[in-house]
Amino acid sequence: MSLAALDRSPETVVAPLLVMRGITKTFDRTRALQGADFELREGEIHGLLGANGAGKSTLSKVISGHHAFDEGEMVYRGREIRLRGTRDALNIGIAIVMQETSLVPDLTVLENIFLPELGRPGRLNYGALRQRGEEILESLGQQDSLPFDWEVRRLSSAQKQLVEIAKALGVRAKLVIFDEPTASLSPGEVERLFDVMARLRDSGHGLVFVSHRLEEVFAITDRVTVLREGRTVMNARPTADLSQAELIRAMVGSELGAIYARNEETPEIGGAIALEVRHISALPVVRDVSFSVRKGEILGLGGLVGAGRSETAEAIFGLRPRTGGEVLLGGKPLKGNSPKTAIRAGLGFVAEDRRTQNIVPDLSVKENLLIAHLGAHRGFFCGYGARTKRVDELLAKLGLPGDRLLDASMLNFSGGMQQKIIIARWLLLEPSVLILDEPTKGVDIGTRASIYAMLRDIAAEGVAVVVISSDFEELLGLSDRVVVVSDGRSIADLPSAMLDEEKLTLLAAPRTSMARNTALLNDLTREHGGAGFWALIENDSLICLNAVVNDPALDPGFRAGEARRLSETRLPTALARREGTFVAEASGGRTTLVVPMTSPRGHDLGWVGITLREGGTLPAPEAIKTRIDTMAATL
Amino acid sequence: MATTIAADPATRPPFVKKLARRLEVRMILLAIAIAACLSVLSPYFLTHSNIFNMLDQSVVIGIIAVGMTFVILTGGIDLSVGSVAGLTGIILGLAVQHMPVAPAIAVAVAAGAFIGLLSGLLINVFGLAAFVVTLGVMAIARSLAYIFSGQTAISNIPESMQDIVYTSVLGIPSNVLFLLVLYALAWAYLTYTKGGRTIYAVGSNKEAARAAGLNTLFYSVVPYVLASALSAVAVTFSIAQLLSADPLMGNALELDAIAAVVIGGASLYGGRGSMIGTLIGVFIMVMIRNGLNLMGVSPFWQGTAIGTIIIVALLAERLVSSRVNR
Repeated sequence: MSLAALDRSPETVVAPLLVMRGITKTFDRTRALQGADFELREGEIHGLLGANGAGKSTLSKVISGHHAFDEGEMVYRGREIRLRGTRDALNIGIAIVMQETSLVPDLTVLENIFLPELGRPGRLNYGALRQRGEEILESLGQQDSLPFDWEVRRLSSAQKQLVEIAKALGVRAKLVIFDEPTASLSPGEVERLFDVMARLRDSGHGLVFVSHRLEEVFAITDRVTVLREGRTVMNARPTADLSQAELIRAMVGSELGAIYARNEETPEIGGAIALEVRHISALPVVRDVSFSVRKGEILGLGGLVGAGRSETAEAIFGLRPRTGGEVLLGGKPLKGNSPKTAIRAGLGFVAEDRRTQNIVPDLSVKENLLIAHLGAHRGFFCGYGARTKRVDELLAKLGLPGDRLLDASMLNFSGGMQQKIIIARWLLLEPSVLILDEPTKGVDIGTRASIYAMLRDIAAEGVAVVVISSDFEELLGLSDRVVVVSDGRSIADLPSAMLDEEKLTLLAAPRTSMARNTALLNDLTREHGGAGFWALIENDSLICLNAVVNDPALDPGFRAGEARRLSETRLPTALARREGTFVAEASGGRTTLVVPMTSPRGHDLGWVGITLREGGTLPAPEAIKTRIDTMAATL
Repeated sequence: MATTIAADPATRPPFVKKLARRLEVRMILLAIAIAACLSVLSPYFLTHSNIFNMLDQSVVIGIIAVGMTFVILTGGIDLSVGSVAGLTGIILGLAVQHMPVAPAIAVAVAAGAFIGLLSGLLINVFGLAAFVVTLGVMAIARSLAYIFSGQTAISNIPESMQDIVYTSVLGIPSNVLFLLVLYALAWAYLTYTKGGRTIYAVGSNKEAARAAGLNTLFYSVVPYVLASALSAVAVTFSIAQLLSADPLMGNALELDAIAAVVIGGASLYGGRGSMIGTLIGVFIMVMIRNGLNLMGVSPFWQGTAIGTIIIVALLAERLVSSRVNR
């Protein structure tokens, strides 16, 4: 404490809160960290970047005491320490806010915030706890935003995150790690989180922000450290001195661009429809999802974590009971609700979690490769013999371990190799449709590129491929077309070429934020008649996020989730000019106001438009602009 | 998850180490070591007649351990097999009063299979804990055994039943032969058939097995049916030998069977184990008990001795396996 007090004097350089040097960590045979360095000061937000599998999560979990490091040095507030567990870390003021929250769903918000206190002997004073909880929320500028008496299971993911943050402050944490905190948040919720983080920084906390979304890193961090293949390749550089290109180069190394490289000639996707999904639901998560994929096409299913993409795939495949809708494979309806019927009809599914959903650890690599065959096989014996030749062919083609390693355990291989074996499991059956859920999760960057190439080859051979990914860059780089899922509904179906990560983020926003926008459009159109919309506009094309039509005669010519060239809409003039005043169309009869929508932090959120009958009294554009800005602030 | 240390082809383990990695090989060595100790302690241990005596004693526990291996491979447990043996024994004893031996045995085995089906469905369809369901069935079956038998042994069993045990083929008693054939069949089933591999996959990772299209429900229930049906088969051999059906038959047999399966290297979490291992486990259990009897150890002390030997053997195995598998 006295040390920290000394460091506060203005002349001294800010002493680092935490220094990690030469950290190594090996899991089984995988070297997750091989000499990582990291330094964090008080009162800063430090971005920890790296591609999937670079070791950033492992490093955060070493700092938070989840993993013990093998070699290296960890100095916290000037003293060398070695944590034996998360409790040690919490005791000295290190806390982590994780993707999968560590909350107890059946306890109340208040009990969760003060969970560490529940382990102490003696009686609990709920009144005092409640008061402290209120103080904590106030210090975050979030007073009254958490119902203390609710069970945590009823909260939204953003609220759960706030509980986690409050919990960290409840034990007076000085260092808080945010591990991919924005993965399941809407743009508005992200802004609120950044406000909270900024307040924590200003009150002298040291924050680690783990992410792979570059625009967020630039928005919030003071300094950046980049990891690649378990090593620090960029150490604590001020964010202001960096360019996006520099960061990307540091993250992926020299092979940038090659990863998503397509074959030069764009493949002709005119094949027959292989899989058609019509309004399927699997309540409560999947409500209404429709899409179709052609032979040889790669379709991306995008959306936030928790939007229901994995559940949709499970419902199609029969792992989750469907409560409605239809699945057609090659035009024929898929009857029955079990993976076995789906597999026999030509469907393959690589589930998200390799360890719990795909790998059978006690069976050899060979049997893991053949297990989908076993599921599809009819007969008393295994029928492995008939597949021997095909197995050899596949092994050779995919660069998988040869005969000698077939008897080994799956767990001896790296994540990328395991994933290839699991994909090969399905290729063996020559499926007509292959669905992959987060195919590169936990796969190192080198192997990722080869998995992408593998998926392209699979598609080129006429298989319809459906890829689910939370990594929007990967989704856009890989797929020909993207279907966006939000709150269990498919809300857009657009070619990848029209999209970028930012547009996808806005499209994927949960319906709660869309509801406020819809309410505003409803109010405006009810007051003035006509139609309203919210759209992203770039060059000469538009992607509609939301549309409300009160007066059918004024239909703008596009609906939510649709993309149009501006000239193809019924409002070409107004959309092209976007002048902040009502602009009448040449075709007559209607006049349209199009105004930009920006978040309080200056983030571009697209354009809101309102179309009214020409000749009526027009409302003042400024008044409408103000209402839109107010709405944007709460989005 | 960055780089993987590739398995280097130059450092392939030598043959001996490879052999030592096989659990069965280590268990056979353990069995031989125990046999050697006992033969030093008691000169009678390795005589021809004692060996046949031990084989004879292996039959009942051995048959029950087959079903138990199947159940444990799926990650389940069946505590009811001893009581089901008692109940089906009484059913057999009552049935032979009214019909010839063969159909009576069929009735008893069918009754056993039915009880197993109920347990299996309760566990896998309704998602109840295997431990609790079979604990309940254990109590019910034992109680019904007393009620059906009128609390006494049924002793008027036709003597023709003895033929089941006291015929021998090529010098091997028929019950021992049955045991060996049963193990060979069970081993082949688990190794070479779709059902057998599914049972391993279910125990190792049920969710992955289901996602691969395997019929996980069916093959989670089958082991319970088999275990209870085999309890009836096992008790048939007992009754044929004693010519009496006692409601107390099979008491605590489930514990011996579980111990044999676990000594044989099966994991109680499922997915790991083998018929060969279980057979060796059965032999180790029988040898220890037989040796203690030969040395005249008081029956009251035998429990302590057996328990200690089991725990020490498993501890030693754990230490050895962590060394050779490195």
